[in-house]
Order: sequence, then structure tokens, then C-alpha cells
Amino acid sequence: MAQTPANLDLVFAALADPTRRAILARLAQGEATVNELVEPFSLRQPSISKHLKVLEGAGLVSRGRNAQYRPVRLDAAPLGAAAEWLGNYRRFWEMSLDRLDAYVRVMQQKEKRDGRKRKHRRA
Amino acid sequence: MAGSASTGEPESEREITITRVFDAPARLLFEAYSKPEHIMQWFGPKGWPVTLCEIDFRVGGRFRFAMTGPSGRQNTPFGGEYLEIVTNRKIVYDNGFETKGAGRMVVTVTFDEFAAGRTRLTIHTVFGSIAMYRSHTSRGFEQGTNSGLDNLADLVGRLLASERA
Repeated sequence: MAQTPANLDLVFAALADPTRRAILARLAQGEATVNELVEPFSLRQPSISKHLKVLEGAGLVSRGRNAQYRPVRLDAAPLGAAAEWLGNYRRFWEMSLDRLDAYVRVMQQKEKRDGRKRKHRRA
Repeated sequence: MAGSASTGEPESEREITITRVFDAPARLLFEAYSKPEHIMQWFGPKGWPVTLCEIDFRVGGRFRFAMTGPSGRQNTPFGGEYLEIVTNRKIVYDNGFETKGAGRMVVTVTFDEFAAGRTRLTIHTVFGSIAMYRSHTSRGFEQGTNSGLDNLADLVGRLLASERA
């Protein structure tokens, strides 16, 4: 899709995983340390860290500077672009314009055909 | 003037721009936009045919469309007034659903044939309010279709809402 910024791909890829969506939903309630995230997900810490890296790469979470705990927090800004893309108004028009693209080709062909007919008639 | 009749909320927070380049002359795209027999061939997503399409194509004239979804029930009609028409270049109209209290939007469609037979179509929409902008950009026009994307849209909407709170 022409208007989709490249990092939107990262956002959607990050959102495509249920564990990562659950992590985001948890962080929506407030920041958490990695240990706090390990508990409810019954996953090992390296696995959680891997998911966090993906979320971080998409700009959806950031880590605090506190060296010891480095709390993870939700960064919702990239979601704005994702929401806009998902938002039905844009989707509605993208789908309509796909159809318009196909339809103007039909109009052009018809015009060419009719043009030829007129020329033939004149000849 | 677009949208200025509504709230005093900054336009930049309630507008959306969609563009597409077509391998077609501006006059054909303009024609596709201005006649019911054409509109009915392309307007709306697949599976949502336009089943009501009335157009009085002149400044001050009105249009009225409705679409029928896969359920077979015709949706609430929507429409408005043509505010400005520049042949083969520009159409400005106001639009909204025929529902009590429904907001209005002002849509400016420009046809820019920047090279022979190549036209950039731009649809610039200014919603009447930020709330209306949000309702159109984070949840359904057509409810229930494409539920995978809709679920994702719900999640994104919820996360955004929690961030704002």
C-alpha cells in the first residue's frame, strides 16, 4: 500500500503475535519490569525479552533508564498510524480507489472502441 | 472554508488525506465521480454495492447514496451538497449520514493531471469534530466485515485510549 510508512510493517508484525498483544494490554495498565511480565505469561524470561525486543523495534514499548529494573512502558504513538490505516474511512477509500482504478480502465477501453467506431462511420 | 462552519477545533486534528495516481486522464476520473451510472460501478468496498445513487451535479445540488451490505439490508443513506465544482479539476461536497445527530464532513476531491494521461487524485476530508474524526478512523463504517482487521482495530483503539487516559 503506497501510503503505508515502512515502520507500520514493524508495528503490524509486532501486533501479529498473541503474547505480544497480551504484553501490550498489560502495559496499557501501567509500566512493568520484565520480572513482572514473566509471571502472568508462564514464559521464560528470555522468551519475554525476545518479544520485548520486537515490540521495542516497532517503537511500541520503551525501557526505563533505571539500570536495575528498567521498567517497560507502552509507547502508543506508532499505534496512531496503525489505527489510521485500520480506520475504516481510509480503508473504505483505498478499497473504492482500487475499484475506481479497474473501472477507469474499462471506461478508457470503451472510449477507444467508440472512437474507432465513430472514425469508421465517418470513413 | 472547508469545515470552518463546524467547531473551532484545529483542522489539522480532524482531517485525513488519501491520494492515488491513476493511469487515466483527469476528465475520465472526473466523469467517474459525477454520474450515478459510473459511481455505482466503483464506489465502496467489494460486496457493498451502491443501491441508492441520486446526483444533482451542480453547485448547490444534492447527492444521496446508500449501500447494501452482505446481509442484504440497505444501510442508512448518506449525502449532502455540492459546494464547488471545477470541471475536470475539483469537486467539493459536504457529506454525512442521515442519522439524527450524525456529524458532517467536507470532502475536497482534486484531479491533477500532472502528465498526459497520468492523474493524481487527492481526497481531503475534514470532519466536523475531532470526535467524529476518531469515530471514523478507529472503528466501523461497515461493522462486522473483515473481523480479523476489526479485532486488531479494536485492540489498537483500546491501547490508544488507555494511553490518552
